[in-house]
Amino acid sequence: MSGASMQQGASAATLAATPARRRRRFAEVRGSLIAAGGMLVLLALWEGSVRFLHTPSYILPTPGSVVHALWSGLAVSPASPVGYYRPLWGTFHNAALGFVLGSLLGLVLGSLMAESRVIEKLLMPYAFALQCLPKIAIAPLVVIWFGFGDGSKIAIAAMLTFFSLLINSFTGLRATEPERIDLMRSLSASRFEIYRIVKLPNAASFIFAGLDMAVVYALLGTIVAEFLGAQNGMGVVITQAQSVNDVAGVFAALVILGALGIALHALMHRLERRVVHWADRGTN
Amino acid sequence: MTSPEADVLDRAKPPPAPALIALSGVAKTFTARNGSAVRALDGVDLEIRPGEFVSIVGPSGCGKSTLLRMVAGLDPCEEGTLVLDGRAVAGPSGDVGVVFQAANLLPWLNVRENVRLPLRVGGRRAAEPARIDALLGMAGLGEFGAKYPYQLSGGMQQRVGICRALARDPRILLMDEPFGALDALTRERMNAELQRIWQTSGKTVLLITHSISEAIFLADRVVVMSARPGRVLRELAVPIPRPRSFDTIVSHPAYAALACEVRGLLSAEGGIE
Ligand SMILES: Nc1ncnc2c1ncn2[C@@H]1O[C@H](COP(=O)(O)OP(=O)(O)OP(=O)(O)O)[C@@H](O)[C@H]1O
Ligand SMILES: [Mg+2]
Repeated sequence: MSGASMQQGASAATLAATPARRRRRFAEVRGSLIAAGGMLVLLALWEGSVRFLHTPSYILPTPGSVVHALWSGLAVSPASPVGYYRPLWGTFHNAALGFVLGSLLGLVLGSLMAESRVIEKLLMPYAFALQCLPKIAIAPLVVIWFGFGDGSKIAIAAMLTFFSLLINSFTGLRATEPERIDLMRSLSASRFEIYRIVKLPNAASFIFAGLDMAVVYALLGTIVAEFLGAQNGMGVVITQAQSVNDVAGVFAALVILGALGIALHALMHRLERRVVHWADRGTN
Repeated sequence: MTSPEADVLDRAKPPPAPALIALSGVAKTFTARNGSAVRALDGVDLEIRPGEFVSIVGPSGCGKSTLLRMVAGLDPCEEGTLVLDGRAVAGPSGDVGVVFQAANLLPWLNVRENVRLPLRVGGRRAAEPARIDALLGMAGLGEFGAKYPYQLSGGMQQRVGICRALARDPRILLMDEPFGALDALTRERMNAELQRIWQTSGKTVLLITHSISEAIFLADRVVVMSARPGRVLRELAVPIPRPRSFDTIVSHPAYAALACEVRGLLSAEGGIE
């Protein structure tokens, strides 16, 4: 269910019982049931095939052993040095810092490039070249510059976020309808007023699309930096489990990271629904 | 600079008051990147007096929008002279309200914020909530201040656009086919409303339209333009007393004659649309 229809639903509770709504609810519940059923079948097949084909546990663990690993990682005090909480917090903390830094920088530079032809001509070649480079390949270099501490994790997360925001905010700001700019010009609005009142809201959907991608990129960057060397973080949990052939432990860590990614993605989606509330309702 | 044709144009009325908007020999050529040039306007002479309502009709592509954009200061006037209130137009002046084709509201602002927009940009910081309320009330939008554009019908959006153009209480109102997207009945209602606004406010209005009946109904003077490159083909005074109504105007003898003449001029120029 979309955020917008939830907002409307809250204000119009009387509508909640209309047949159309009930049908939609029913369809949603049925959809979730189908998905859950499919997952159960998949897990059962997985468990069954591992048992009957005698797949060694260092190749593919059973779902049961993954759940066990998950449980032993989660059923500890959040302050404990073992378990998932500390590494999860470390990864989240660095990814979030990098995300915020990279988004701000990307938005500012993207805006400058969109506003000034000179800055665009100056920076576009690099932006384009780097856009085509698999940026994660720069990670080892960043580790040399920033060391094995939090700095390199934040920097890589920020770098990946930055490019996603740079391109999207630039594209979104440039996509502003000329009629809207004419309107502002006819009111002798200043350049900054045109940017703030027309261009930025106009680019909001693009910017959120960039943020949405960047959430995953920031996590990706942080984990890769942790692979290259770190004291704390989910990347460390994975490499440690891998070093002792604890494949169930690797799977469990991946499940945790997946859950974090989904949660952040959902959060971003809700934020977008709230901020870009006018979108998808047709323009005038 | 004046084209020779200017002399043979039959002026409807010699302007008694000094013109508020004066165009003389205004021309415009658009040059594409590949170097090919389009002559959009060619020697336009036109004078509009304060408080006058002037409609412009002309074949599609004859440069009407270009002309209006130049008067609004959105496009530069590089050939001929374009004077607004005694000063050459160098850019958008705060004293001109523009009503764009297709309301052109900002979808992220609600109705009230859209109408208030002219009061908070361009170095203005006025709150003036009473004025906004009065405008919305006049346009029959009193209860819709908190609604967003997507929640309004096309006619309502257009009314919001007109309120916005009036927010600064400009002396001059420029309208580019403001009612083109509306159905015939809504359009007539909006025309009547616009006439009322104009009569009570004493503004100078320049209206571009494709509808001959709308042009005659609203205007003191109908300006017929030639096919591209656009020139003023003829100016026709509309000697029909106000307030006019669509029910009675069609039976006025001058109406049929005017409509017939405008239609004849336009079809000779290759049709209005
Ligand atoms: N920015 C531009 N660049 C190049 N050519 C242009 C530009 N704007 C307008 N033109 C050309 O100038 C001519 C006049 O355009 P304009 O929009 O003023 O016509 P119009 O009379 O408003 O037509 P319509 O009634 O269809 O709105 C057209 O041939 C158009 O192609
Ligand atoms: Mg036009």
